[in-house]
Amino acid sequence: MRSFRIQVNGGSYTVSLEQVGKERFQATLNGVTYDAEVTAKGNLTSWIVRTDAESTHAKAMNRPNDRVDIWLASMPFPAIVQTLGIGGYAAPAETRAKAACDRIRALMPGRITSVLVKEGEEVKEGAALLILEAMKMQNEITSPNSGIIKRIFVREGETVKKDSLLISIE
Amino acid sequence: MKMKLFIANRGEIALRIIRTCRRLDVRTVLAYSEADGESLPIRYADEKYPLNGSAPTETYLNIPKLMQGAVKTSCDAIHPGYGFLSEDPGFVQACEENGLMFVGPSSRTLAKLGNKLQARQVMKECGVPVIPGSDGTLADEDEAVELAEKIGFPVIIKAVYGGGGRGMRIARDSNEVRKFSRITRLEASSAFGRGDIYIERQLTQPRHIEIQAIADTHGKIITLGERECSIQRRHQKLVEEAPSVALDPSLRAKLTDAAIRGLGVSGYTNAGTVEFLVESSGDFYFLEVNKRLQVEHLVTELTTRVDIVEEQLNVAAGDSLDISQNEVDVVGWAINCRINAEDSREGFIPTPGTVIYYHPPTGPGVRIDSALFSGCTISEYYDSLIAKLAARGMTRDEAIRRMRVALEETEIIGVPTTVPLHVELMHDPNFVKGDFDTTFLNSFIPRLNSRIERYEKLAAVVAAVEKTRSPGAWRTEETQKESRWRTAARTRSVSR
Repeated sequence: MRSFRIQVNGGSYTVSLEQVGKERFQATLNGVTYDAEVTAKGNLTSWIVRTDAESTHAKAMNRPNDRVDIWLASMPFPAIVQTLGIGGYAAPAETRAKAACDRIRALMPGRITSVLVKEGEEVKEGAALLILEAMKMQNEITSPNSGIIKRIFVREGETVKKDSLLISIE
Repeated sequence: MKMKLFIANRGEIALRIIRTCRRLDVRTVLAYSEADGESLPIRYADEKYPLNGSAPTETYLNIPKLMQGAVKTSCDAIHPGYGFLSEDPGFVQACEENGLMFVGPSSRTLAKLGNKLQARQVMKECGVPVIPGSDGTLADEDEAVELAEKIGFPVIIKAVYGGGGRGMRIARDSNEVRKFSRITRLEASSAFGRGDIYIERQLTQPRHIEIQAIADTHGKIITLGERECSIQRRHQKLVEEAPSVALDPSLRAKLTDAAIRGLGVSGYTNAGTVEFLVESSGDFYFLEVNKRLQVEHLVTELTTRVDIVEEQLNVAAGDSLDISQNEVDVVGWAINCRINAEDSREGFIPTPGTVIYYHPPTGPGVRIDSALFSGCTISEYYDSLIAKLAARGMTRDEAIRRMRVALEETEIIGVPTTVPLHVELMHDPNFVKGDFDTTFLNSFIPRLNSRIERYEKLAAVVAAVEKTRSPGAWRTEETQKESRWRTAARTRSVSR
């Protein structure tokens, strides 16, 4: 879990996020959960952001230092990103403690086509854990942290609902 | 049609005219300013003619330069598009003197309907209802107050030579009449060269509905249905649709009849639009005649399948209209959203700049008229209208749904636009029901602001994930050459 302070268009927001896939993140802002996924890369990154209410397309251009330009509905939103906590990406103590046991959930309903790890196995951050097929796409679910696989809750071939627990990592 | 056409306009409307000309094998010469040196229409015109300078007065408003261009390039006709010189009797007269066909009404007709007050007189004389108000220009503030008290408040003070939504003020009492008469007079003399004013009663919550007509030089006049243009901000149209939910067949017939009568009496030729204000009671009043191709003509084209520019060229060449009234069939529903380079967060100020990426929407029933391309510049010299996005359906509901999808697909990256306004509008329950009038947008702005706030939060989320996704950019030096757009973006965020 990482936390950021984002200034955009005069407003200031705290966003905490968790990487739940190779190019997928789950973010929380004011208690609302947003699922963000990269849909295209290049000079401009295309994102789709889903909430319970709606899904929105966005484009982003990474700028030097702490700046990012975001576009939504053909409207620019220049943003300044500050990491909360000390240095680089270090998360604040309370979120680090919580991150000690990561529970990975399904971002969308689908079918588990492969389980790539075993219980008790040691994994590095970003390692592929399983493949979830959803909307005819093979989505690689990766480990948000380094750690040991504590428990695997699903079997290959199993259909899962959105938010169902897949794996826990210690 | 044998014709070589000089286009005295720019941007999307120049491209729109060129498209019809290419289909009809009419050769085109496009006049262009320095700022428009790399515009999209230049690529498709057969020839281009440079106008030195960029300011409108040096270029698209400069009659001698344009005349010289048309004569030098051996053109037979001039299309003025909309805005600029499209309704200027002096320009039309210059065309006539140089033996050039003007794609629009004659200078005689323009003079007859020349200003708002004259047009009002013409309409009144042929029995078309006009808004209660003054029959001539007002001599002084005392006369204005006296008349305002007679017709009842609120009143609207208008500049006789004003246009495009400018030169109008609403007064609620005698003091305001006195004050605003003076201000409007001063403003009009600097903006339009003449300070004459008149007043009309301000109708409460009317709709703005207009009839599209086209007349040839052989006495034939047809109408192509109505357009509903009530979604306006400060008298500037933002969304137009055809037909209008507010007209039943009998009211439609009355408006059509009034339009034909008024245009007939003034000997009108070529495409023209008669605008009306319509009250919920069904009472209607003449507003003004637009003596040119209108920005919103595409919704009429989508519902009648008539190419208005083609008919304009026919008429200008002295031919009869290709179509007759009984062939005109209004089918389905079309909506147009004007996408302007304007920032709704800053009071809709125009926002020139560079469009670094452009992806237009498409799909069944979707039409976009625009001169945008990835890398194009939105110049500070001209209008902020950068695209007209129209959607057609068999029903109004289908047109709205198609518009929502098209708006979601629209990607104009680089300058703020009015897209968020249109997105919110297409989801507004009252707009969807067809329940709105010319005052609608005033109360709509808070809704728009709450959408912008939602976007802000989404932007914050995307900013966080984008930095996390490619953190390398945290430390990299700026390696690319500094582009103007980057500098502008930085200046904007710093100044905020």
